[in-house]
Amino acid sequence: MITTFFGQDALSSSPAFLVSLFLGFGFGFALEQAGFGSSRRLAGIFYFRDMTVLRVMFTAMFTAMLGLQTALALGVVRADQLYFLPTVYGAQLVGGLLFGVGFVLSSWCPGTAAVGLASGRLDALVFLVGAALGSILFNEVYAIVSPLTSWGDSGVSFIWTSLGISGPTFALIFSALAVAAFWGSEWIEKRVAGAGPYLGSPFLKAFSVTILVAALAVALLPPLDSAPVAEAPAGDFTEVGLLEAMEAGQDHIDPDELADRLLAGDPTLLLVDIRTPAEFAAFHIPRAANVPAADLPAFLAPHKHSGTIVLYSNGMTHAAQARDALARMGFANAYLLTDGLQGFFEQVLKPVSLRRVAVSEAQATRINAWRTFFLGGAPTPSASTAAPPDDAVRLVETSWLEDNLGRGDLRIIDLRPQPAYNGGHIPGSVRMDVEHFRGVIGGVSSMLQPADMITRHLGLLGVTRGVTVILVPTDKLHDATLVALALDRAGHDRYAILDGGWEQWVAEQRPTDTLLPAIAATDYPTPSGADLFTVDYRTVLAHSRNRTAIILDVRPPDFFSGAKSDEARAGHVPGAINRPFALDMSTNGAVARFRPPGELAEAYSRLIPSKDAPVVVMCRTGHQASHSYFVLRRLLGYRRVSWYDGGWSEWASRPELPIESAP
Amino acid sequence: MNSDPNLSSTGPKPHLNPYLAGVLLGLVLLASFLTLGVGLGASAGIARAGASLQSCVMPRHVADSVYFGAWGEDPLRYYLVFMFVGTLLGGSVSAILGRRVQPQLERGPTASRSRRILMALAGGVLAGFASRVAAGCTSGQGLTGGAMLATGSLVFLGAMFVSGYAVAWFVRRQWQ
Repeated sequence: MITTFFGQDALSSSPAFLVSLFLGFGFGFALEQAGFGSSRRLAGIFYFRDMTVLRVMFTAMFTAMLGLQTALALGVVRADQLYFLPTVYGAQLVGGLLFGVGFVLSSWCPGTAAVGLASGRLDALVFLVGAALGSILFNEVYAIVSPLTSWGDSGVSFIWTSLGISGPTFALIFSALAVAAFWGSEWIEKRVAGAGPYLGSPFLKAFSVTILVAALAVALLPPLDSAPVAEAPAGDFTEVGLLEAMEAGQDHIDPDELADRLLAGDPTLLLVDIRTPAEFAAFHIPRAANVPAADLPAFLAPHKHSGTIVLYSNGMTHAAQARDALARMGFANAYLLTDGLQGFFEQVLKPVSLRRVAVSEAQATRINAWRTFFLGGAPTPSASTAAPPDDAVRLVETSWLEDNLGRGDLRIIDLRPQPAYNGGHIPGSVRMDVEHFRGVIGGVSSMLQPADMITRHLGLLGVTRGVTVILVPTDKLHDATLVALALDRAGHDRYAILDGGWEQWVAEQRPTDTLLPAIAATDYPTPSGADLFTVDYRTVLAHSRNRTAIILDVRPPDFFSGAKSDEARAGHVPGAINRPFALDMSTNGAVARFRPPGELAEAYSRLIPSKDAPVVVMCRTGHQASHSYFVLRRLLGYRRVSWYDGGWSEWASRPELPIESAP
Repeated sequence: MNSDPNLSSTGPKPHLNPYLAGVLLGLVLLASFLTLGVGLGASAGIARAGASLQSCVMPRHVADSVYFGAWGEDPLRYYLVFMFVGTLLGGSVSAILGRRVQPQLERGPTASRSRRILMALAGGVLAGFASRVAAGCTSGQGLTGGAMLATGSLVFLGAMFVSGYAVAWFVRRQWQ
């Protein structure tokens, strides 16, 4: 099976650049061989004089299409290794209309102009300069045209799915259209320009037959699909064949592989849970369908030759029997999950710290990614720190803090600006700014810093593992909640927010001073794997596609709907629901507080079905979402809350990601 | 000198049979799918060259802009830029082998030089702009998306020919 550069997220690596250079070479060579180094020739198609463009394009599209469909059907390459262009109806319609005008005025397009320039054509150079200027113009007016670029965004969509047929079947229809277009173009060229060199020629006849036969062969090819084992049994369903397949392990799929394919959102995978509905309701692997064994043949009939069917039960026996029965019925693409749900728990879901066999760093990362995906990011206690109870006190009263001032195991962090702090603060408190914990990471702005940078800050503040951090916010509670997330990432669980913050403290005329505290820097150890709650856009995309988690967008409604925007694109992640973070707080004068827990619990119970439902919170940069995270995870005890740090700011500026905007 | 290029030993060699050239092009595209995991593209390379050039003149402005800014400090570190360079090289080699390198401003018999330059420039600006709107050109959307049978790419291809044929009549004198 092929692993592509895209599949490894390595398109920006030097080897990928080298391969691109070679492919470009072939591209340019083929274009020039076709005669596309001449604008006069390219223009011919628009006047029916010279239909070369049509012939070359149809043939090239057909060749690559057939090759790709074959590779996919034979499992040479899996769909998740390919970048499928998303369909954005508005953008592609308007872009196509404008492009056609540009094409006919100049008689060039970008690829052909490159070989035109290589052939010494000055008009190609002029075109290329114009195209660069057009790109610059686009950038300059991007603020105005950006809604157009996502207008009608429908994600990945194939023409054949909308027609309800398979890819190879459509390729067959396409081949017939191509042959008709070839003969038609030869005929029309003869009529208009007296040319049409191949009309009725033995070559075109042979070529047409070849195309049709090749397409027919691929359409009739017994699809082996992206079987996990390349040499999977293709048709031996005799008892001996079944036993052989069993012995060779060809009837299994391992939990690791299943987890990876689910994580990648593999659309060819069909996961079936054959346990009772009650067991299914208690727990199941995300994306699984619950089908009683007796109903399997009917349920799976449409999938007999497409994709990978994976059956699971608690153990192996039931699933193996069902799988063998299906194999006898001709389902070459049915597998059972090795060791069933038990195996999945052991190999995929078990926390690294509880595993008996030591795991490598890379495997630990993989396991954490699985856990985040399948469990929705419930934090795992790392081996070195005792897990605090979920009901740890997260809000402390001003009176409690005043009674406990001067304790050595408390560190009070004042989040106000520096002049305000210097003008008077809670005795013994130090100042930190929420911005100390954020920065540009991987090109994305306002990302929470890595754990080692956060622990460095903690060390410089004299915080040790045993110290409880008290965060003192202004009326911007989300400053405190973001710092709380930073502490979570550093594995420092002992923290609480001062209820009412600084404003409440001064309103009650509690003691303040202007002295700097005496602090001895420490060396705070950086834990590994403390952060299991942060997710990236890939995870959010998988959740959005598969509807495997509630995506809670906490921005103001106008920004959620797309009516307002200050990012690359307007709208929200498809399937997300809106619950502005500001609804979770109330202000009384300058004092801001979280709303009473009962009121919050009531509001969220209407949005999230259970405390174990996977939830992803997001906003523009992750700042406001930290507020909702704190409310859900720390105040209300939702156990599977994840936080998408990059937020809308990142999502909107990755044009390949689908968006939705309200009418 | 022999005027028939097919018989001349110094004139341009004839082009490849278009159907075979199409198969060749399709195989290159297939190779791209199976190695890079993405298809071919040309306009992104030009756009990134544009961003890079503009960056030389006004670096702050480009870095702060939303669209180009997202391409980072060095917009040229991108696989499609390398592909575009490869396209120039492959085109050159093929043109040299075919003796088809002819420095000239290609234009119709009645079109003036300035008119041809103006048309090529205007067409370039439009095509460059449109490629950004649609996130691809004839190569990236048309050929690649078409071969993948992506619905939107086929919409792009259809729209391109609709407007192309609609406007062709008005500018027909260019090549007559």
